[in-house]
Amino acid sequence: MESAFVAISSDFQVYGAVERDGDVIFDRVAGFDQVSEERSRYAPKEFLMKRNENVLILNVESKKAVFGIKSCDLKGFYLMDKQIFGKDPFYTQKREKTLFANFVCSEPCNGGFCSSFGGPVLDQYDLQILREGEKFHVMVSEKYDRYFREFKKETGTFYVDFSNRFNSKLEPLPVEGIEKRIKWNSELWKEYASACISCGACNFECPTCYCFDLYDDGNERKKEWDSCILSGFTSSSAGNIRKGLDERLRQRFYHKFVYFKKSKDTYLCTGCNRCVEDCPVGIDIKEVITYDYNGE
Amino acid sequence: MSVLTVCPYCGTGCQMVIPTQTPGERVIGYSKSPVNEGKLCLKGYSGLSYNFSKERLKYPLIKRNGEFVRVSWEAALTETSNRLKKIIREYGPDSVAFQSSAKCTNEENYLMQKIARVIGTNNIDHCARSCHSPTAMGLITTLGAGAATGSINSLDDSKTYFVIGSNTTEQHPIIGTKIIKGSKKGKNLIVADPRKTQLAEIASIHLQFNPGTDVALLNSIMHVILEGNLEDTKFIEERTEGFRALRQELAKYSPEIVEGITGIEPGKLREAAKIIAKEKPTSILYAMGITQHVHGTENVMSISNLALLTGNLGVRGSGIFPLRGQNNVQGSSDMGALSEWYPGYIPVNSDSVKRFEILWKRSLPTKTGLTLSEMFDAAVDGSLKAIYIMGENPLVTEAAISDVEKGIENLELLIVQDIFMTLTAGLADIVLPATTSLEKEGTFTNTERRIQKVNVIYDSPGEAMPDWWILNEIGKRVGGLESYDTPRSIFEEIRKAIPNYSGATYENIYPTGKQWPINKENPDGTEILHTKSFPIGKGKLVPIPYRPPVEVTDAKYDFIMTTGRNYFHFHSGTMSRRADVLERESPEPYVEINTEDAKRIGVRDSQKITIESRHGSIETNVRTTEKIPAGIVFVPFHFDESRVNRLVGKTLDPLSKIPEFKVVAVRLVV
Repeated sequence: MESAFVAISSDFQVYGAVERDGDVIFDRVAGFDQVSEERSRYAPKEFLMKRNENVLILNVESKKAVFGIKSCDLKGFYLMDKQIFGKDPFYTQKREKTLFANFVCSEPCNGGFCSSFGGPVLDQYDLQILREGEKFHVMVSEKYDRYFREFKKETGTFYVDFSNRFNSKLEPLPVEGIEKRIKWNSELWKEYASACISCGACNFECPTCYCFDLYDDGNERKKEWDSCILSGFTSSSAGNIRKGLDERLRQRFYHKFVYFKKSKDTYLCTGCNRCVEDCPVGIDIKEVITYDYNGE
Repeated sequence: MSVLTVCPYCGTGCQMVIPTQTPGERVIGYSKSPVNEGKLCLKGYSGLSYNFSKERLKYPLIKRNGEFVRVSWEAALTETSNRLKKIIREYGPDSVAFQSSAKCTNEENYLMQKIARVIGTNNIDHCARSCHSPTAMGLITTLGAGAATGSINSLDDSKTYFVIGSNTTEQHPIIGTKIIKGSKKGKNLIVADPRKTQLAEIASIHLQFNPGTDVALLNSIMHVILEGNLEDTKFIEERTEGFRALRQELAKYSPEIVEGITGIEPGKLREAAKIIAKEKPTSILYAMGITQHVHGTENVMSISNLALLTGNLGVRGSGIFPLRGQNNVQGSSDMGALSEWYPGYIPVNSDSVKRFEILWKRSLPTKTGLTLSEMFDAAVDGSLKAIYIMGENPLVTEAAISDVEKGIENLELLIVQDIFMTLTAGLADIVLPATTSLEKEGTFTNTERRIQKVNVIYDSPGEAMPDWWILNEIGKRVGGLESYDTPRSIFEEIRKAIPNYSGATYENIYPTGKQWPINKENPDGTEILHTKSFPIGKGKLVPIPYRPPVEVTDAKYDFIMTTGRNYFHFHSGTMSRRADVLERESPEPYVEINTEDAKRIGVRDSQKITIESRHGSIETNVRTTEKIPAGIVFVPFHFDESRVNRLVGKTLDPLSKIPEFKVVAVRLVV
């Protein structure tokens, strides 16, 4: 036994049951004869399962300032905040350390429908910039006010006027009350499902979609953007409760226009039109808003 | 910084832009790309994380006493070349074979076939053998070029799409979306497929025919066209030859007779035939459902007959589109990584081989080499001693796997160059760690002949090196080749070797690629082939008699199994099964069974079942569906743990040597 013990010792750190002050505990041992035959005072679970151990190390992120984000994309973060800020430690840390300077569009873009959700002038911002020829109109949040102490800032009326002008140029869609109009059994979902190839672009390109999947890779646990269009999304042992692609597409629109509205009192959409632009089969979220569900 | 490159998955060749400062996070479709116009499918968006997998091969490995031992590159290269040279010295050059890869760049494929031929053997082949060798063989015979005749963009001008043997939305999703959008706009869509694919669901007409009866179906369509005088007489007269013989053959295929073979109701077939002939331009798209048959080449030639007969070639919106499975299967075939062709489809036994003797300053072999499956047979009978595999995993993808196992066991030397320790690499004597296509430079040629630039985005792990670098080192040591400094210097040689590539440069193919032929006459490349004439002059109409598939059902083996890919995975799963979301979507092997069949034999969803063929058996999980007709089952081939190719026999198309992956008689054992 002693020779096997020596051989094992050369490959392993060796522990044994040993008596210490009258109790048998586990500790490093140098020879087989040191191992006690008495029952240990406790079950040695900690060899595999420590009482507490670290399961997450958050990298300390550097501060970043991002210039040129459009208002619709920035607004996505303010909407995400309502669901994940303070809950997702990765998001929260980066959110707090990132300054966004959003550019307010002076003209409506092709396909965008931001006026349906308030338009390009945001109520919440770090640094909101509207360019007028060579002149910059700037609104700064309290948090970053110190960078603009020497400059004259907009009081807000300029922006209100601008916003009204912009939104009258881009007629808002009748989004108000969509949570009541939208129809569970609409033909629209089946029609979309017949064309959708489940690429996930609508989720991946959406500035408000925040869902992710968790997976293990060797000694690391990772998360990755996920898509609610996929059947494995939120799958349980019984599979996805939304078996059909039509049901999953409907879920995406219901989340944006019904469930988020009910729980957070706002729609989970900024009118950026990115899901429409990147959809390879032309599914248009604007149609979900304007569709005549009653006429079906 | 953002880098533009090409998706590593299917042959569509979508261009993607990947910002390098946030590795692994963001992929966008390139909005200016004429291929994908900014769009991507799920494999593009979520399929690239295999690059960062902890399981990547990082160091060269040599097997000593049954265990892999890490060695230096110098040691690995020296041992590889010394052992190869010894075998060549003792048994001659034909005792060595090379398996190239449609996942690798043009430069790498060119280099590998050059090494083989300079050593003195045409034993060079790759997975195009198992997917589109019938296309090359068939279309070169009938039209003079084995490639798609139009561009992906030109499909916008089609009035009718005829899709046969292609589950386009799952296998070439972005091309599939063109058809979906066209169909939703009211264009005609005719789908011929035993399975109810997504396109079949929205099609104007779905011809749900019996597997393996393609020639009968196509002949019957042409029979109806002639019956109604709907053929393009002007085109036939001016541009084709062989009409009379074809007409004679087609006379036998009235829809009423053919119904007994294909199972297609005559009225439906007549309607489809009329739309194809009258609602022009018609584009014909096909994939493995046409090629992976014992009569694969004949299927391809039947498609060519149909296009010629209806004058559907040479104008935008018309044409034949063999959809390429792998990102570079067109390119690797163009490069001559095939046992019967030198680069540019020069037959190995033709006088034109002299061109390469001058270019490479060697006398070269002119005997046809071994194809993929023949290599393993030769290994079994002992005439082949060494196989050098680059980026292929035949232990999962090749037909008749038990023969592959026997062959590999019998080899003196197996070298595998790959990015992961695949099942095949696990049996190798030497494993050389390669970089992925996101970590190296070169070119891919997509399914529409577009030569596109591939660029370095990520650092490679450990000591992994680009395939071209490894081959270059082997070429110097084994073949006495001069060294290439960069992929660009190899490409410059390709331009001299292949006239259709002569006008392409790394500069002019950036950013959006150019379609071959690109040369002095066509400096911007060629979008539509055969506009005025065919490379062989007139298009050949070839009478093709219908022959049934080799595998037939009987009292014991009462189901027909077809095999293929699903949307989420790719081939042996080496890449896609290490991409989190893709693997999550399709984590286990399965067999699709018609719901009624499942009831009849008493199995339920997710139940374990054994599938037996005359060649082997596997265990897998039941997945019931109404998308597959009764009597037919479908099994994807991605899964190491349940390799469907154990069930596939080794019946080869005599012309192209492709195995019959699409028709296997099986029984289900509960």
